[in-house]
Amino acid sequence: MSTTPAETPTSAPDGGRRIAFVVGSGRSGTSTMSGTLQALRMHVPQPEVGADSTNPKGFGEPQWIVEFHERLLDRVRVQTADARPQAWFDTERPAMRERFRNELFEWLDGQFAEAEAPSSGRRTSELVIKDPRLVWFLGMWRGAAIRCRATPTYITMLRPVTEVVGSKQRYYAGKLGEVSRTAGWVNVMLHTERSTRDSERAFVRYGDLLDDWTVPVFELGERLHFAGVQRASAQDLRKVHAFIDPSLRRVQLTWDDVTVPARLREIAEASWQALDRLADKDGDTPEVRTTLDELREAYIDYYAEAELLTQSTAESARLEGMVTERDRAAAAAGAAGSMGEGDGLSRIPHGLRAMVPAGARRAVRQRLEARKGGEE
Amino acid sequence: MNLEDREDFAVRWAWEGGADEGRLAPGTTSVLRVKNEARSLPWVLPPLLRATQAIVLVDNQSDDGTPEVAMRVAREHGFEDKMRVFDYPFDVSRCGPEHLGTPAGSVHSLVYFYNWAFSQVRTAYSLKWDGDMVLTEDAEGLIHDLSWQLPGKDVIVRVPRHSLYVDNDRVAYLDLGLPNVEAYGYPMGPAYEHVKAFEWELRAYPEDVEFVRLPDGASLELKWLDSDEFAHWTAPEAFADNFRTSRKRREYELFGALGKGDWESWPHLHRIEAPEGVHVIDHVTHEWLPHADRDVFRAHRLGTREASQS
Repeated sequence: MSTTPAETPTSAPDGGRRIAFVVGSGRSGTSTMSGTLQALRMHVPQPEVGADSTNPKGFGEPQWIVEFHERLLDRVRVQTADARPQAWFDTERPAMRERFRNELFEWLDGQFAEAEAPSSGRRTSELVIKDPRLVWFLGMWRGAAIRCRATPTYITMLRPVTEVVGSKQRYYAGKLGEVSRTAGWVNVMLHTERSTRDSERAFVRYGDLLDDWTVPVFELGERLHFAGVQRASAQDLRKVHAFIDPSLRRVQLTWDDVTVPARLREIAEASWQALDRLADKDGDTPEVRTTLDELREAYIDYYAEAELLTQSTAESARLEGMVTERDRAAAAAGAAGSMGEGDGLSRIPHGLRAMVPAGARRAVRQRLEARKGGEE
Repeated sequence: MNLEDREDFAVRWAWEGGADEGRLAPGTTSVLRVKNEARSLPWVLPPLLRATQAIVLVDNQSDDGTPEVAMRVAREHGFEDKMRVFDYPFDVSRCGPEHLGTPAGSVHSLVYFYNWAFSQVRTAYSLKWDGDMVLTEDAEGLIHDLSWQLPGKDVIVRVPRHSLYVDNDRVAYLDLGLPNVEAYGYPMGPAYEHVKAFEWELRAYPEDVEFVRLPDGASLELKWLDSDEFAHWTAPEAFADNFRTSRKRREYELFGALGKGDWESWPHLHRIEAPEGVHVIDHVTHEWLPHADRDVFRAHRLGTREASQS
């Protein structure tokens, strides 16, 4: 196969545009998959996030996508590996907003135009989209793909939950502990599976990719009809060999190394066992999906119980946030030289104070008075 | 029990106990009350079968083979196990004065008919759907997501709907000048039963419920120009001078105008011609609407905003 620009863009056997959405939990080999497809001449929109010590081979993540997703996640207060089942509906909301949908469509359309342009050195109609935040916005991406006349396909990377949690603990600075990371993995993986159901998809074990990448990559090329894989040249294949480093799988842990509550461990392990089966040949069966549905329901119930149990903590955090807001407002008022008489709450502008429910206002006032008493 | 003492058509809600002990399964059921929709169902049902977990189709005295077509479409798409077809054999009052004069507890009331149909639902969320409404490809994906995200939440889904006047297999007229966004997705529960309004039924909901709205271009309402689209109304006069029925009034006038070949004088009305070999409904849902410049919805959006403020 020629390595010079083709007369026409490389496209799927059906002649159409395709998008490979690489999804799954962070630290599961999503960067390795994205980089592999890029080496096979599928287009990763530029510029990318730069490599660092946590991912020395690079992330395969377009910078624009990361910033777009972060903006939307901030808007709905959802974290990348959020453990709350509610977060799925929260992130669906922006997918309904024409402003964001249009912004995404215009960017994606521009990326196809760039990848297919005669001036492009690697003309192709196949894009690779990867970002750990991507899973929250699959609905919006699907809509943009339809408008671009592209077929969305999904590659879910699989890695044992204990290894993912261990890797995150090792490489990410973090306020989150093993319990929270394990819950986040369960939430993200079970719902990602549900989101991609009924679509063209493939599941790839990170371990399989590192052991012998030719087998899973060939299979997903056939299954998802990627011309980049099906028509790969010897030079392309050499590039993948140079890119994939089997020693990347540096963290290998078991449940002996990860301490979480028994029920969470039970759900997480059963989820991993069921997800792992999806990567088998013909493993994406109705029976496995039913098992995953049951596990998702079990996790939702378990999380709801935990929320009820920790309601006092959540309420305290909410009040703490209000106190912080009060301090900020007071500081602003002080800076303007308008400090007056009365307690701290009274110094908050009336309009802002009126936005706080009366009950909560009373609670803050009591806390402030108690603190004041303590200081005296 | 209903006013006619028809035990076999009593409304028995899942949460009132019974065989499945009041438990509602996760997921979403599409509920369609239909009468003589055999012609539309091949376009209406497939997106719903793919996007939701079950369909309850209640036929009311069709004579065009509607129940058989529904089962055939479900079978052809490999979703026979999702489809349940029921027969509701009573005359149901037509919208307008006839409805107003019918007690809500009667099997002849639209309210009772709706409640009986929804009492067949066994999932935690429901999607009321019309027998002539077609989801577009993009919106099908969104409903597919919401179908598993919404159960258990007090959230109502509002769906924009655009009338498509079908002239023949190749030509149709899409009306994007009419603001039309209605609530279609509702949680199942005692707070969400149907109650009586003046011209038709409406669904109750708690004050603190949340709303989400699908994007413009989400669905089409098929209107066949060679059919009597207003048969379920008492008489055209019923919606001639009432602000709640202004939409029906425009549809009635447009329907008449198109019958006479007048379409160019109507703003925001698009004449769409499908390529050879493609049905115009497929062309609009898979090609024209998804790829139309979003500005075509401007009048619809502005009208919707004004309508919601009035």
